[in-house]
Amino acid sequence: MRNRSMVSVWTSVFVIALAAFGLAHPSLGEQQSGEFDPRDLSGYWMGDTPRNNDPPPLTPAGVAMMEGRVPDYLTTLPNESNDPMYMCNPQGFPRLVWEENEPIEFIHTADRVIQHFQWERTLRELWMDGRELPSGENLDNLGPTWYGHSVAAWEGDTLVVQTTGLDERAWIDEFANPTGFDALIEERYTRTGVNTIEGRVVVNDPKNYTAPWVQEPTIFTRMRPQDVSFFGWTGLFSGVTEAICAPMNELDEYNRRIRDPSLGIGN
Amino acid sequence: MKDYRIGLFCAAVALVGLSLAVGTLSAHHGRGQTYDGDQELSVDGTVTEFSWRNPHVTLFLDSVDADGKVVGWGFESSNVSTMSRQGWSRNIFKPGQEVSVTYNPARSGAPVGILRNVTLSDGTIVNSRGNANTID
Repeated sequence: MRNRSMVSVWTSVFVIALAAFGLAHPSLGEQQSGEFDPRDLSGYWMGDTPRNNDPPPLTPAGVAMMEGRVPDYLTTLPNESNDPMYMCNPQGFPRLVWEENEPIEFIHTADRVIQHFQWERTLRELWMDGRELPSGENLDNLGPTWYGHSVAAWEGDTLVVQTTGLDERAWIDEFANPTGFDALIEERYTRTGVNTIEGRVVVNDPKNYTAPWVQEPTIFTRMRPQDVSFFGWTGLFSGVTEAICAPMNELDEYNRRIRDPSLGIGN
Repeated sequence: MKDYRIGLFCAAVALVGLSLAVGTLSAHHGRGQTYDGDQELSVDGTVTEFSWRNPHVTLFLDSVDADGKVVGWGFESSNVSTMSRQGWSRNIFKPGQEVSVTYNPARSGAPVGILRNVTLSDGTIVNSRGNANTID
């Protein structure tokens, strides 16, 4: 019992030290004091999204969209899933932002906030120049895209982003849940501290879901300077590195030389 | 002075913990039952290739088995940026190096594994990260 108490005490000490050192110590973040501009999201952030498979009930169209999809969690071996990402297809939105948990850089410009992603080394443009989301015939003419079309505006100190026009072939998450072209996905980013952003997302997709899907909040933690620099370099080769899933690497090399042999295939 | 040391100790522990926490967040994809993450084995051999590529850094070596036959082994690790943060570089392993690799084996028995650490000929141990369920 005493040992268990001591473990508990030391665990508490560790957790407190971790929190204090990781989240509040000025040398770890780019901010040098406890004050921050709540409307400044710039910097490198690492998300930590809870991975829950708890969407609202699917509509019949949503059930039809799921047919033939074999997500990882229903398989025992990695070659049994047909997750599009295994073929190096784009993760798409919102999966890249809300599931991948890879570094993201936020960049403010005069008319946009740009999200720059390590995974895929791609970006989203969140337009803040007052334009409206494409809709109706305009949206139909534009057609689906992996990352959709996004507009953003401040509501108080929360950046609210609306996105639509998504490619329905993308899985919304690793559980193969569907995404609708006409879905309207809302993200809300709020600076909750010097080194933290709280992110929330709601999927409004009446074609596939019987109710709006309010997901668990994600905490984005500012990456430390040592985690965004390598061999003395920051900038070009920064926290947002080139984590590209190239078919030449993944399919021709990794699958052929590592994955398939590990499964007893091909040798 | 004593308080200062305790503070330093806590800070060091916290730093390691935070590094591990950051390092285990991402997961490109799972391996299912491919590897036995509870078992660690070792094999000695000569590096034939070190592939410093995303999304899987891989190490290949030739090893001579008990029958005198040369067996080609392949080991996977995490991605380039993660391993860079771990202190690895493109030149950390070179063809011709004699090494001993500790790994989680493939359940199929194939000469493939999750790389856990590499012991160089001078005794230096180069750690990889994670186990079968936490690499990218």
